[in-house]
Amino acid sequence: MIMLADVKKSYDNEVVLQNFTMTVSKGEFAFITGPSGAGKSTLLKLLYCYEHADSGHIAVDNWIVSQLKIRTVPYFRRSIGVVFQDFKLLCNKTVFENVALALRIHNMEPEEITKRVIAILKEVKMHGKADVYPQYLSGGEQQRVVIARAMVTQPMMLLADEPTGNLDAENTRTIMRLFREINARGTTVLIATHNEDLYFGSGSRVFFLKDHHIEKEIIG
Amino acid sequence: MKILRYFFDTAFRNIRIDKWANLLTIISISIGLSILCAFVMITFNMDSVIQRWSNSFGLVVYLNQDISKETEASLQKRFQQDSDITEVTYISKDVALEEVKKSLGTNAVLIDDFNKNPLPSTFELKIKSSLLDPLVIKKKAADLKTLFGVNDVLYGEKWLSSLSVIAKTMKLVAIVFACAIFIATTFTTYNTIKIFFYRRKEEIKTLKLLGATNTFTRFPFLIEGLFVGITGGVVSALFILGLSSFTTLKVVEFMPSIKAIMAPFPLQVYLLIPVTGAFMSLLGSFIAVGKIRY
Ligand SMILES: Nc1ncnc2c1ncn2[C@@H]1O[C@H](COP(=O)(O)OP(=O)(O)OP(=O)(O)O)[C@@H](O)[C@H]1O
Ligand SMILES: [Mg+2]
Repeated sequence: MIMLADVKKSYDNEVVLQNFTMTVSKGEFAFITGPSGAGKSTLLKLLYCYEHADSGHIAVDNWIVSQLKIRTVPYFRRSIGVVFQDFKLLCNKTVFENVALALRIHNMEPEEITKRVIAILKEVKMHGKADVYPQYLSGGEQQRVVIARAMVTQPMMLLADEPTGNLDAENTRTIMRLFREINARGTTVLIATHNEDLYFGSGSRVFFLKDHHIEKEIIG
Repeated sequence: MKILRYFFDTAFRNIRIDKWANLLTIISISIGLSILCAFVMITFNMDSVIQRWSNSFGLVVYLNQDISKETEASLQKRFQQDSDITEVTYISKDVALEEVKKSLGTNAVLIDDFNKNPLPSTFELKIKSSLLDPLVIKKKAADLKTLFGVNDVLYGEKWLSSLSVIAKTMKLVAIVFACAIFIATTFTTYNTIKIFFYRRKEEIKTLKLLGATNTFTRFPFLIEGLFVGITGGVVSALFILGLSSFTTLKVVEFMPSIKAIMAPFPLQVYLLIPVTGAFMSLLGSFIAVGKIRY
């Protein structure tokens, strides 16, 4: 479940979101789209508590994000998976270690970590490059590692910022199928994208972000 | 527990990556600790020198001329029972006169004519060295002077107060220096870890975005600081051990007087040096891994 009520967010003096209200139900699969610079990434950053709203209320699942205490932020973040638009892979760690890191933070047993990481890397077709460092990967390969890292913890909420921006048609289909699968197991999924092909004919709700708020909402 | 392994792996990988910076820090810490040790050693030895000086300090109790044998005996008993007094020496007026005569040598004839010995009998009292404070001694002397049969109590008042000033100044200087070196060494680790920490700022931010707590992101840096501190301590301990055995084995041969002022360190000290190093660098690291948001 995602809920934003009357949220305002500005950087310095530049307003990005204003009178922003939006709700995504638990277990829903939804898209948010809009022109570049409209504030899609900013919206997601508010949701995973990287940026803080100037005013308004934000809730994600059982967490009231707008009132989260500093000490509880780590535990909240562990309950969600995020595909960052700029990847945020650690360049001094291999693909395997990058994905495993998410589970180490969850304090999981090493054997269990190995099992899960290998399984998810197979799903995104990156198991052949488990021991490679990110700088030797193509953009699309890096993107799939980020997706694997976001999904390996089996979060109840998945926020994906332009997750298919670097992918070809076939990999896009694979990733979208993975997202649908995790959604079928109960995870709420919110995808920010420019790519109309992702949501056309998907049957999911699509929010159009423009001029600081949700301009319209359609079924894709 | 399983996460500890990961922390240690991360820390030791970081140590290997930054081996030169870490080596420099280890050297700085061991130099700092060695200087600190030298200082402790000097004050430690100075203390024993002062202790030896103060052994020669005594109160002289002059008795009344007309004192009876019984009063003298009871005074002696009184002094021997006093727990502040470690040694009581009685010098009778006759012995005192003999002493004077001996010191005058051939001129002794000058005082041969006295039909009556003008010297008083005295007690020489040695005081517990822990009480060698000008005020305490002054009070003690005043107390003793009120005793029946005692005419006067004298002691080296000037000497005692300058001794006490020297001892106090030495202690103060030692403490100030020790603190300065302590802070400097702590700061060395602080600086190194701070640089490492800031260089990994982006990585730490990402870890936090994945839900890592502060403990998770800081622990490897604390291990790194601890390692550097202990290693610096061990190096310093080995250096001092080598230096002190060299002195006791070799330097003594052509400089025997060094034995008198060089008390060997007790063995626990060699354990204490790495522990001090560990404590200082852990403290420095703790301060270094201060707040980074997100
Ligand atoms: N850290 C920041 N400081 C200042 N301004 C920022 C910051 N981050 C984003 N902005 C501004 O906020 C606006 C929204 O940015 P945001 O990244 O949310 O857009 P977006 O919808 O994700 O765009 P894109 O589709 O290109 O990813 C932009 O005008 C951008 O310049
Ligand atoms: Mg964006």
